[in-house]
Amino acid sequence: MNVRPHSLIDSVDADGTFASAFAASPTPMVLADAQREDHPIVWANAAFLALTGYDWEDIAGRNCRMLQGPLTDSDTVARIGEALAKGAPFEAELVNYRKDGSWFWNGLTLSPVRDANGTVTHYYSAQADMTGKRNLEVAMTHANQDLGRQVAEQTADLRAALEQKTALLHEVDHRVKNNLQVISSLMLLKARRTPEGEARDALNGMAERISALSTVHRMLYSAGDVTRFNFREFADEFVGDLVAGIDGDRTVVNASIDSMAVSAAMAAPLALMLHELATNAVRHAFPNDRAGRIGITAQRRDDALHMTIEDDGIGLSAGPPNPAGFGRSLVEMVVRQLRGTIAWSETNPGTRVAIRVPLDAVSLRDATADPVEEAPQWEK
Amino acid sequence: MGEMTSQPLRILVVEDEVLIALELECLLDDLGHVTVGVAGSSQEAIALGLATHPDVALVDIHLVDGPTGVAVAQALSADRRTTVVFMTANAKRIPDDFAGAMGVIAKPYSERVVAGALRYVADCRAGHAGSLDGLDGFRLAAQDGKRVHH
Repeated sequence: MNVRPHSLIDSVDADGTFASAFAASPTPMVLADAQREDHPIVWANAAFLALTGYDWEDIAGRNCRMLQGPLTDSDTVARIGEALAKGAPFEAELVNYRKDGSWFWNGLTLSPVRDANGTVTHYYSAQADMTGKRNLEVAMTHANQDLGRQVAEQTADLRAALEQKTALLHEVDHRVKNNLQVISSLMLLKARRTPEGEARDALNGMAERISALSTVHRMLYSAGDVTRFNFREFADEFVGDLVAGIDGDRTVVNASIDSMAVSAAMAAPLALMLHELATNAVRHAFPNDRAGRIGITAQRRDDALHMTIEDDGIGLSAGPPNPAGFGRSLVEMVVRQLRGTIAWSETNPGTRVAIRVPLDAVSLRDATADPVEEAPQWEK
Repeated sequence: MGEMTSQPLRILVVEDEVLIALELECLLDDLGHVTVGVAGSSQEAIALGLATHPDVALVDIHLVDGPTGVAVAQALSADRRTTVVFMTANAKRIPDDFAGAMGVIAKPYSERVVAGALRYVADCRAGHAGSLDGLDGFRLAAQDGKRVHH
């Protein structure tokens, strides 16, 4: 068995099969004599002649360095020389020149051919034109650089646009707050100069409504999340304002408000609603120095905000017909806007208002990603 | 508005919006304080500060001559007799050191917060420990600067 490869080669080569196979191969090949001075070319196939543009007569007996030229990398050439000296195989890509002076990237493999004694008798080299592959690589590099440049430009544009938007948001926010302050000051100034009575009460009432809207607006942007606010923070501050305006010995306000994120879109309506209901209770439930208590609760349950406002005052039907009228219809309008439900009931003594308002998608968004919850909570 | 502070404060109002300034004056009067002057620009504010040595200066950031309220606070707080409190819708412009100011009242403010903030200032000036309970619209420089700067 161990003699078979030898006998196979011998038998095949006897007909010159290898020689004619190499001669007809589409792969350019060349053979140089390692034992003669300056390693002359002793054989090349047709594909090699086609690749280099030379005729056999042009190259026969010459050294392969005839293919080198100005663009040929001298380091690569030096490494080929080292490999030849050591009798080691080698492969590289280098620039070679055709007979007509044009150049191409030559991907070559070089291997020594030894005789039965192990002496290097020839060098065998196969080539491939790598110019197309090289061009592709260069094109890819350029395309990548272009892409990188474009991405950098677009990122810079986007960053500039974002900075502009942020600046604009701050500017608008600042103006809205300032305007709310001006409107509120205007109302209060006019109220101060209006004789006591219905007109002054109306002006003061409007100033309070604006103040409730202002409070909630202030909270919208202070927590860093422009899409939501914490309803409890608003309610606590609002109740604080409410209590400051009444005689604390006579009327006690108990508030139990859960911490919950509510979307910015619901901020103004909810602020108005809470304001109307609570001030109505304070104003109209306890006439003639009647003492009493007001309870406010708010919870999140079944994806909805449930709020109750109760007092132990004189009740709805006992109150004077008109003054509460505007406030009450305002509340009903706002509840309708929020697609909620409202129930007024007499509790004897007093009044109970129960409201259910469905929370929208923004309010219900996962609370773990909520900066309102992470912000230092309201210390009291 | 209920409680009056025992000792009336002499207050300089630095605010370029005339309506806000006028209403604030009325409010301060209601609270039993004395408005020693109203300034709309930084020069006016600094000149009035030198002339009146107020107990308290309420300073808006945006004045007639631009966002100069910070410089005004710096100048007025150099006088140890004056406690500076910002009063602004633009708290983001306040520097980290608060330019010598004690705190900031956020606009739009409610009368209760102004009253509470002034009561706190008066308590501090009298050497008592003031209370900030329920005064979410008033923030101190050192204690809560973090929430002013986002």
